[in-house]
Amino acid sequence: MTPSYNFAFLDEDTKRMLRRALLKAVAIPGYQVPFGSREMPLPYGWGTGGIQVTAALLGPDDVLKVIDQGADDTTNAVNIRRFFARVAGVATTEHTADATLIQTRHRIPETSLREDQILVFQVPEPEPLRTLEPREAETRTLHALADYGLMHVKLYEDIAQYGHIATSYDYPVLVDGRFLTSPSPIPKFDNPKMDHSPALMLFGAGREKRLYAIPPYTRVESLAFEDHPFEIQRWEHRCELCGSGESYLDEVVVDDRGTRMFVCSDTDFCGQRRAEAQA
Amino acid sequence: MLAAFANPVFDSQRTFRELLQAMARPASPRALPILPPSPAPIAPAAMAILLTLCDATTSVWLQQPQREAVEHLRFHAGLRLVEQPQDADFALITDAASMPPLTSFARGDMRYPDRSASLIVQVAGFRSEGGAHFAGPGIRETESLAIDGLPWDFWQQRAALAVQLPLGIDLYFVAAQHVVALPRTTRLLES
Amino acid sequence: MYVAVKGGEQAIARSLELLAEARRGDAAVPELELAQIREQLRLGVARVMQEGSLYDEELAALAIRQAAGDMLEAIFLLRAYRTTLPRFGYTQPLDTTAMRVRRRVSGTFKDVPGGQVLGPTYDYTQRLLEFDTTTPVVVKPAETPLPSNMPRVLDLLDAEALIERIDAGSDPEPMDLTREPLMFPADRATRLQNLSRGDEGFLLSMAYSTQRGYAESHPFAGEIRMGEVDVVVCPEELGFAIEIGSITLTECQMINQFHGGNGVPPQFTRGYGLSMGEGERKAMSMALVDRALRCDELAEANYAPAQNQEFVLSHSDSVEASGFVQHLKLPHYVDFQAELSLLRTLAAQHAAATDEQPLSVAGGEAP
Repeated sequence: MTPSYNFAFLDEDTKRMLRRALLKAVAIPGYQVPFGSREMPLPYGWGTGGIQVTAALLGPDDVLKVIDQGADDTTNAVNIRRFFARVAGVATTEHTADATLIQTRHRIPETSLREDQILVFQVPEPEPLRTLEPREAETRTLHALADYGLMHVKLYEDIAQYGHIATSYDYPVLVDGRFLTSPSPIPKFDNPKMDHSPALMLFGAGREKRLYAIPPYTRVESLAFEDHPFEIQRWEHRCELCGSGESYLDEVVVDDRGTRMFVCSDTDFCGQRRAEAQA
Repeated sequence: MLAAFANPVFDSQRTFRELLQAMARPASPRALPILPPSPAPIAPAAMAILLTLCDATTSVWLQQPQREAVEHLRFHAGLRLVEQPQDADFALITDAASMPPLTSFARGDMRYPDRSASLIVQVAGFRSEGGAHFAGPGIRETESLAIDGLPWDFWQQRAALAVQLPLGIDLYFVAAQHVVALPRTTRLLES
Repeated sequence: MYVAVKGGEQAIARSLELLAEARRGDAAVPELELAQIREQLRLGVARVMQEGSLYDEELAALAIRQAAGDMLEAIFLLRAYRTTLPRFGYTQPLDTTAMRVRRRVSGTFKDVPGGQVLGPTYDYTQRLLEFDTTTPVVVKPAETPLPSNMPRVLDLLDAEALIERIDAGSDPEPMDLTREPLMFPADRATRLQNLSRGDEGFLLSMAYSTQRGYAESHPFAGEIRMGEVDVVVCPEELGFAIEIGSITLTECQMINQFHGGNGVPPQFTRGYGLSMGEGERKAMSMALVDRALRCDELAEANYAPAQNQEFVLSHSDSVEASGFVQHLKLPHYVDFQAELSLLRTLAAQHAAATDEQPLSVAGGEAP
């Protein structure tokens, strides 16, 4: 642990500011709370929102897991885990089941989460309407009026053009029937895991200075139409390492003739399954 | 003067985690891990919440601003006290039976519903038997809870605010070492 | 047999070693001393302090050395350090009229009280590479010292009531952009804070665009002054003001034509720029952009990028912009996989649709 910095890097005033904002976020599910995001020692866009949320939560009894793309060993996940081991001296793990806090980028673990766990998402763009309306002053008003016609029109135009909704990740959700919310750029495969999750889910967007929350056991609906229900990705393949047919798969190019193989994106899930198969 | 948290960094972190779980799982009492010394009429559990969440950037309204309590809060938390309930980020209700109407507090505005008051209400106690039923985000099916010591029309007042969602007021009730949170989204079910 | 990629931790450790080696360069060449950077690269130090929002020449020099001269990286280093510093208090507003001026020029009057003072400027250097810098410089002192208190050029116009009046102390207490999030619409004090931390290159381009028809502004450089200004605090427990030191500042006041509107008569209006150290390009750019962003207040047509406050203020910060542009090098293969499978579905559908129809029909536009 680096002694010249406060526990978990942030000063106590900043933690209090984050904690107040997090409590309001939980009280208003899916609503983006503006907060005084600080410059962190990692670049904006690299998980500063998630890092600030984690820093506000973290205590000496926590066991922290950090994943990027579902994997514990991607360089940015390693770097963030290393950062907290250095500035907070907390225990870290790669096992989903052993973690009290999980910070993630782009995935929700395959292993079901429990009530005593908290999932922290790194969010690049918290505003689900941003690509349809870049002006913050406008999107605030649309949320105030719960006017999500823009998004429905966009999805409907997809159907008219392609025959189905052409959004494969960062697929917008309606939280508790009120706020249209970005699930962060997780693949839509993970969206159903958010609905009535036993674990609290917190979202931090550092560069955009917004945070939001989805409390446990909260209705989270992926937008859809009656004649075009929401569907998740399916593969014709199984994981070539553990044989799973239910997990999200990464496609890997294994030789210069372009041969592909498919493996689990969640490295802990895959590893556990292989260990069980061997036992 | 009394002391505050013995170990501010870790005591406030542990208290916050309980408050976060309380807010995420409404109507379910949780034990606060640390009860700091507190001058009357402030209960130690309420003091733990104030020390955890409030500082010079928050405005706090005290229902009973007694001198010793005011000095204690100013010294340990440096917080800003306000005269009017509608100016408060946090309000401390030390005598629930005579608390001002909920409509005296800020409920946020439609573009920023988070600019609303959080109330810390000291009550007589919590009971799960014979309690009312609650539902909403954070509650798996329903939670049953009775909160003792609130004004007779409290639940009517709160229900009247529900039409303004997402505007609203978020509540922390404390009794002895327990805290119960009721965010604006929690509904009291008709029995 | 494929094995999932492992060893991220080791790869990072090796990369840090390579970086340290590359930063140091040839070990036979002496390492740069901070004093050399502070004294001989003072304009770089000024920029890092300004955009890093921290007036500390020593730390800025350290950041520049650690960043191997990459100014944006140095600014980021200083910001990340600054964010952990506790706040002891706030200074009184700086009084730039009392600046001990070392440079002061005006483009609006041939002569002004106190005179035009070039000071140390690159303006008239002729930009010939100086291959020999060994000849020592001897500065000839001025015959008469500069007055200790130079009136502001814009105050001369003020006496004639030709320029908008902004009374000292009439501004509301500003919010602190380093502690609170930016919200829209942002008031002028907030906009100025944002611009002062903004990337010089971005502001320069935005300012330039206002001169080329993207926001009609007709600017004149009313006054540019550079020199030392005292920093004063008034601690609550003391109850009186004390001077804690002085800092170098560059201030620019632009004068812009204004034809009247929103109940305001025709008059000159002001654009304001301020920069730590010698930062003239930055201060001038800031003043032009500040004025362009006042379009709504002055009921001017709002159509150009430099007038759009959400556009300007959301994209001015180099730490934010650099982080987000560069985050694209992080793995995105989960989302890319999602897009791949979507594209394969779309392509298959497209192929099936084309197969079903004769070419001549497929070529025709469906209604």
